[in-house]
Amino acid sequence: MEHGHEIGSHSLAHFAGLTFNMDTLIMTWITMAIVIVLAIAATRRIELQPRGWQNFLEMAVVYLLEQVETNMGSKGQKLAPLIITLFLFLVVGNELGLVPGFTSPTNDINTTLGLALMIVLIVHVLGIKNKGFVRYFKHFFEPYVPFVIINIIEEVAKPITLSFRLFGNILAGEILLLVLGMLVPYFVPTLWLAFSVFVGIVQAFIFTMLSISYLSNSMQDGH
Amino acid sequence: MVELNGTLLAQIVNFLLLVAILAKFAYKPLMQGLADRQQKIADAIDTAERERREAEQLKLEYKQYLVEARAKAQSIVETAEKLAEENKEEILKSARAESAHILQKAQEEVIRERELALSQLRSEVVALSMAAATKIVKEKMDTELNASIVSDFIEKLDDEKIGGLPC
Repeated sequence: MEHGHEIGSHSLAHFAGLTFNMDTLIMTWITMAIVIVLAIAATRRIELQPRGWQNFLEMAVVYLLEQVETNMGSKGQKLAPLIITLFLFLVVGNELGLVPGFTSPTNDINTTLGLALMIVLIVHVLGIKNKGFVRYFKHFFEPYVPFVIINIIEEVAKPITLSFRLFGNILAGEILLLVLGMLVPYFVPTLWLAFSVFVGIVQAFIFTMLSISYLSNSMQDGH
Repeated sequence: MVELNGTLLAQIVNFLLLVAILAKFAYKPLMQGLADRQQKIADAIDTAERERREAEQLKLEYKQYLVEARAKAQSIVETAEKLAEENKEEILKSARAESAHILQKAQEEVIRERELALSQLRSEVVALSMAAATKIVKEKMDTELNASIVSDFIEKLDDEKIGGLPC
């Protein structure tokens, strides 16, 4: 199977009237398996003095927990597993595409938009739960009624920007890696590969932090 | 290339599944571990602080002890010096007394010896003069005095019958 052929085009499967991108799903399952194995391996025995992989994972997780704590307060603790899982899934998924023979599950808009829509849905559900139905929707008509247009555009833009940023970065990274591999083999693709590792972590971080930020808006009692 | 389909729903389900699995198997032990560690660190800090305070207390106590010990040693040395001085005086005094006593005794001995020598000399002189006198007298009163003495002696023998010898 040629790499160039693989990127962007999917092998399809049909089930219950819906179409599924099987390669994306398989890569997602591989990513999930890796995340589960890593997380359980790292937390199976929490040592008093963390070492190696556990240390790295803990650093990331503790940082995310701090962010959750400061942005969402104590109520946000329930969402901490979701945020941490989101970050781990995105990091592993982004980096998976850099391994030869694999593609990132996040190079499919279905994955990123799915995650973004899920986050936005949680934001609205929590907002309604937290502030009450009427108060939450009154919020869109403030400070004046015509602002509802701007507010709705903003709300629609949230999942779109969130998902397309990640999708674009990862897909472009993988395409560029292959193109460079064909044009100037070895040295330049290696540099780009190293940079892509960085990009994968940064994009996962951005997606996670923006999700925290969106979620924290709906957790606040004020306004 | 950019085409939305059922994968979107599947990915949401996949992700929520992953969240559920991690929350159950990784998140709880992680939080437990972090809480345990926090507790242990807090305990360690508490213990260290307490022990430091105890050490400070002990240091103060030992300093106090040291000062006391030094004072005590000083006083012991002073007492010993005083005692030694007193002993020295006493020993000197007794030595002086003893020497005086010995001297006196020796003088008495000398005097006594001299007395004895003198008395012995005197009796010697008497004996010598008696011997000399006897010699001189022996020359002069030979015949008649000797006869009278011998006779007296014989008479006395008769009277007392000495030895019971037949004559």
